[in-house]
Amino acid sequence: MNAIRERRWRNRIALSVSLLVCAATAMAQGTEHHTLTIGITQFPATLNPNLDVMAAKSYVLGMTLRPFTVYDADWKLACLLCTELPSIANGLAVPVDLPDGGKGIDLTYTIKPDAQWADGVPVTTADVRFTYDVGRNPQSGVSNAELYRRISAVDVKDDRTFTLHVDKLTFDYSALQDFVLLPAHIEQDAFVEPAQYRLRTHYNSEPTNPGLYNGPYRVSEFVAGSHILLEPNPHWAGPPGHFRRITVRAIENTAALEANLLSGTIDMIAGELGLPLDEGLAFSKRQGEAFQIVYKPGLVYEHVDLKLTQPALADRRVREGLILGLDREAISQSLFAGRQPVADTFVNPLDLGYTEEVPRYRHDPVRAAALLEAAGWTKGADGVRRNAQGEPLSLELMTTAGNRSRELVEQVLQSQWRQIGVDIRIKNEPARVLFGDTLPHRRFDMAMYAWISSPENVPRSILHSKEIPSEANGFVGQNTTGFANSEMDRLIDALEIELDAGRRKTLWAEAQRLYATELPSLPLYFRSDVFILPKWLSGVRPTGNQSPTTLWVTDWSVQP
Amino acid sequence: MKLPLILLAVIAAASFAAPLFGGLFGTDPDMVDLLARLSGPSLTHPLGADELGRDVLLRLLAGGRVSLVIGIAAALASAVLGTLIGLTAGYLGGWVDRVLMRGTDAMIALPLLPLLIVLAALDLNKLGLPARLIQSDEISLIRIVALAVLVGWTTAARLVRGATLVTRNRDFVRAARSLGAGVPHILWLHILPNALGPLIVATTLSIGDVILFESVLSFLGLGVQPPLASWGSMLSNAQELITTAPLLAVYPGLMIFLTVAACNLLGDALQRRLDPTALRRR
Amino acid sequence: MMRFTAIRLVEIMAMLLLMSFIIYALIGLMPGDPIDLMRSADPRMSAADAARLKAMYGLDQPLLLRYAAWARQALAGDLGYSRLFAAPVWAALLPRLGNSLLLMAPSFALACAIALGFGIAAARRPGSRLDAAINLCCFAGVSLPTFWLALILILVFAAQLGWLPASGIATAGSGDIADRLRHLVLPVATLSLVSAAGYTRYVRAAMREALAQDHIRTARAKGASEGRIILHHALRTALVPVVTILALSFGGLVSGALVTETMFAYPGMGKLIFDAVMGNDYNLALAALLLATAVTMVANLAADLAYAWLDPRVSYR
Repeated sequence: MNAIRERRWRNRIALSVSLLVCAATAMAQGTEHHTLTIGITQFPATLNPNLDVMAAKSYVLGMTLRPFTVYDADWKLACLLCTELPSIANGLAVPVDLPDGGKGIDLTYTIKPDAQWADGVPVTTADVRFTYDVGRNPQSGVSNAELYRRISAVDVKDDRTFTLHVDKLTFDYSALQDFVLLPAHIEQDAFVEPAQYRLRTHYNSEPTNPGLYNGPYRVSEFVAGSHILLEPNPHWAGPPGHFRRITVRAIENTAALEANLLSGTIDMIAGELGLPLDEGLAFSKRQGEAFQIVYKPGLVYEHVDLKLTQPALADRRVREGLILGLDREAISQSLFAGRQPVADTFVNPLDLGYTEEVPRYRHDPVRAAALLEAAGWTKGADGVRRNAQGEPLSLELMTTAGNRSRELVEQVLQSQWRQIGVDIRIKNEPARVLFGDTLPHRRFDMAMYAWISSPENVPRSILHSKEIPSEANGFVGQNTTGFANSEMDRLIDALEIELDAGRRKTLWAEAQRLYATELPSLPLYFRSDVFILPKWLSGVRPTGNQSPTTLWVTDWSVQP
Repeated sequence: MKLPLILLAVIAAASFAAPLFGGLFGTDPDMVDLLARLSGPSLTHPLGADELGRDVLLRLLAGGRVSLVIGIAAALASAVLGTLIGLTAGYLGGWVDRVLMRGTDAMIALPLLPLLIVLAALDLNKLGLPARLIQSDEISLIRIVALAVLVGWTTAARLVRGATLVTRNRDFVRAARSLGAGVPHILWLHILPNALGPLIVATTLSIGDVILFESVLSFLGLGVQPPLASWGSMLSNAQELITTAPLLAVYPGLMIFLTVAACNLLGDALQRRLDPTALRRR
Repeated sequence: MMRFTAIRLVEIMAMLLLMSFIIYALIGLMPGDPIDLMRSADPRMSAADAARLKAMYGLDQPLLLRYAAWARQALAGDLGYSRLFAAPVWAALLPRLGNSLLLMAPSFALACAIALGFGIAAARRPGSRLDAAINLCCFAGVSLPTFWLALILILVFAAQLGWLPASGIATAGSGDIADRLRHLVLPVATLSLVSAAGYTRYVRAAMREALAQDHIRTARAKGASEGRIILHHALRTALVPVVTILALSFGGLVSGALVTETMFAYPGMGKLIFDAVMGNDYNLALAALLLATAVTMVANLAADLAYAWLDPRVSYR
């Protein structure tokens, strides 16, 4: 009897001790933070880098697939997968004269010698040739075939070095962000029938195959619509990431996203795809002490396009009156706590070409009224301005439906414009309608939305007269305002090919001044991203350009 | 019976008299005042101000107008459409009845929300509606009412058909027919009054359903467009502000609850009064 | 009975075919084009690219031709390729269907249980305080928008108390049953509370009617016990309207619960249908919608057959 009781006691003690040990290790692990869960608002439809353009996909691929070059947090071009940026100075970039009279350029890149796919196969020029073949093939379904068309040929020198023959010499000739390598040894069998490539690609059929990724992490679990689990790439040669596991969870509803953060289900909310600024500000007011909150204005230029063929808007005085009638500072201060600085043109202050010497418009309702009067619009009895024919100055303002920040701003704009006698009707449409149909067909008066660009992005598609969508050209082009200015055309053409930095600055300055004078669209602000990070996380550096912060995930670590 | 009626009357009266209030205080529900954002109750803003500084009380009343108009219009329209179909099916019988009932059943069988999403997102231009209509302010209201009617007529149709089937063979109807009364006369004077009881009940109950339906549409971004306010859109806007300004959500939610509850109570009470079979209960 | 069933099944097929065309046409009436949307997201795409992609996805053909092509394929068993998920339709559909069933079935069962329990309790003592209390709760439940309830539950149980996870179907990396069940608690609670309120009212009304019937009084007069009266006599008649709603809600098992799924980031059929429709993904939207319709119609048929069993006065020629 005693023996049995003794044994029972011994068992109980052993059990308690092991439980304590388990708890202790769990707690220790908890404080050491070896896992990270990131919340984003959209789930990537496909992980194939070359089909479909999606911010969620770029975010996840930032940790798993290395592009050749990238614009870093200092807005400088840097090599990620290559050893050296080709430039004319170091001889790796050689301008050539093309038979048709234009200028092209030959660029030589060398892949980093220790770059490997996560299954151990080295990254070689075979992958380069394969990616090029896929991109050139009209049936493969890649979304930016333009890039591959510009590359007229690929010369493979050896396993790591290759030369691209590009048929147009542009100032950013060495930028190769969009040429993301596909693993030839895995994807080859999917490409046997090019028309079936997008159906057979391994990124969709087996996204957890390690051979698909060459970055610091690889995808180890993929649950469509819910989450993606990443684990370290065993064959990654660079500095290892701190985290043993990174989970990316998609939660579309932003109120639920916040609740998830508060409950600990997720550790951080990514700025690239997270809360809109006004919600981030509200969150920081309530919970700011418990988290690190980082704001970073980016290259998302929020503006109001004006259809220049609308009779009222064709008059420059009316456009100037409209912008003078807006108190953009007040909007920025009260709705966005000053975190979204007012924009004067489409060029971001962090951009190389930025200049401060442009016409700036402060809130001046008196001058606005005077301009509108001069343009022939007099205030009627009901407060709305009318012209000589008795027609009211009534315009329709559109933006993407369901976007609360935009709807808020819209209502403020409507209210402010009413005070200078302009009647605004609000008509919102879902994004797919607005961008897919209404804007290309130019069925609007005023449209508020954002242009997303990259550093030193020449505004050809939005301001060049050849890019006005019309019946004649099949409604292609993004110059939806209809801005046709020969001086601007000249500046755009020059900017694309001017290699000298000093001369570029002058050209940029002229372009910005012209834009701010003619006002084809009304500048509002540059949208800021809000990063909500746990206090123990360090190393996340928002870039402000379109490069996701995840490209530097190996710099992320836990603060001591 | 009295309580819900009074409640509804008060809500309706207040909502529709709101523009007069606006005149008294010199404010209107759409007036943006960035300095007064999210402020608490005060003399000028008895219930506080919302995220753009607009007066909550006025917006609540204006929203009430919109929600009630949508609810009542949709309920009445569904009732009318359903009655027409039910009467036709019930009275004519035969293959007309069969086809109409199959159609009704099919309608009921459809997965509601997904279809409504498709319908709510339709491009009105492609449908060929006149441009003036598409650009009018009321188009989002009309759209919601149309959607509600499209799915709501089935209840009324079934009810009326059932009542018609029962009544058409009754003696007094046969007598009227033999006296040479025309079909419309019979339908209007004899059959319809018997179907009226359950019909009124169903219509009253559906007002509440439509108001809830509108709030879900607003949640999905397919409801009334800003700056037009409705209880549903105020409620879904307030989601994100729930910890900063929870009252912004409480007020429209409370109004929806009171109105829907009142409708349901009213429907219940009406059923007790008007449904003849209820006489059998003690 | 057999003939009746056979005729109904044929009617269901015909209805599905008609529905498929209507839905196809409706989605076609949605503005814009998936390729146009892609193009607006990537300004460097040229007109030639867009035209090429359109031809590849078959979007440049007129509606009838596209529908005919789809119908031919579908009848042969090939549901096509989902553009949105970049996978065959059935591959995109099946996991989501599983998730939805896992969510909807328990919610359904729980709601029915609550409804029967409270509805019968209220009907047994009409006019009492219990009855009034249950009635009030029902009104509250019916007047509450689902997204509201979901948010409150998340805030209280996940954010404040931390007892339950706030979203998803499972913690990443682990797929065990306990974890999945924990993730189901809040969504199931939301759905069942909202549905239970509506169902309870029906059950209560139906039971009240049934309990007032003559044959109940007879049974009571004959000395049958209360329990037997309820279970044996009243319940059968009362179940008729209940079965009606149940049949109607059955389709919900497959069409999912869009609002709940969005709030809890639960990848189910509701969200799938919404995304497919909004993303102009014809193949996926059609397959999902037709599946939901078919299930509801078959459930209706089952309900009609059940009536005959429940209420001997009903019969089918």
